Amino acid sequence: MSVPRGAVHAKWIVGKVIGTKMQKTAKVRVTRLVLDPYLLKFFNKRKTYFAHDPLQQCVVGDIVLLKALPERRSKHVKHELAEIVFKVGNVIDPITGKPCAGTRFLENLSDSENLTEADTTYLSEKLQELKVCSTEK
Amino acid sequence: MPMKGRFPVRRTLQYLSQGDVIFKNSVKAMTVNYNTAGALSDGARRFVFFNVPQIQYQNPWVQIVLFRNMTPSPFLRFYLDSGEQVLVDIEDKSNKEITEHIKKILGKSKETLEKEERERKKLSHPATFGPKKYHLRECMCEIEGQVPCPAVVPLPKEMRGKYKASVKNEA
Repeated sequence: MSVPRGAVHAKWIVGKVIGTKMQKTAKVRVTRLVLDPYLLKFFNKRKTYFAHDPLQQCVVGDIVLLKALPERRSKHVKHELAEIVFKVGNVIDPITGKPCAGTRFLENLSDSENLTEADTTYLSEKLQELKVCSTEK
Repeated sequence: MPMKGRFPVRRTLQYLSQGDVIFKNSVKAMTVNYNTAGALSDGARRFVFFNVPQIQYQNPWVQIVLFRNMTPSPFLRFYLDSGEQVLVDIEDKSNKEITEHIKKILGKSKETLEKEERERKKLSHPATFGPKKYHLRECMCEIEGQVPCPAVVPLPKEMRGKYKASVKNEA
């Protein structure tokens, strides 16, 4: 009987770190949506997992991705830290790659201040060409 | 007496089972980042309100996590079994477009679903009778055109064992 991975059912889970008081271990709270049988509405159900974090790089409040270990590391630790999805206070928007806080970006998105002389002359030439084309028509 | 809530139809089994996004077996977790304000995030908000319950009902073993107002742009992120992550930008898309898109990229195709349905049917033999868990029907009396259940309609005299025995005794 082969057990290639997971002495545990959950292979990849996303959760929030709630405690780092243990050495090289992070306490992670994972929420899943569970259907209430009478109301037929989904509610968050919490479960805490312990994850192995060898470099102790988690801070309370991080959103992390956990990966199931092939076999249990200790009585409670069955997962390890795969990656920190969102670091608390330092959220990077994955679409643009820029740091952001809430619904606004922290740094200026437009790059007009970083244009060099060559760029500005090139762009102004292009603009001239466009004006000439439109007047020809 | 109407149901409570804004769109209580979302809380009906019929609506939940109408969800047609069934994820492939490799999808383990889905993360939805959306904003509570802003016109660009409107499709994302509708997606969370109307479609996420359907998706979770059809995929009970996929973990779905919702994050509000963490980043300016709304997006979905899927975590697959191979460690691969799929990022889907949902800014300025309607909720219907979002469901179509994820059905196309990560949903089981109709052929796969039909094949699975056929596999499941093969396991149970349709011609046997017994408990509902293992068989289609429990008794021959359930089928149209057969003798109805004697618990509901008494059998005609000629079919009853009592009458047959009395006739045999006389003769």
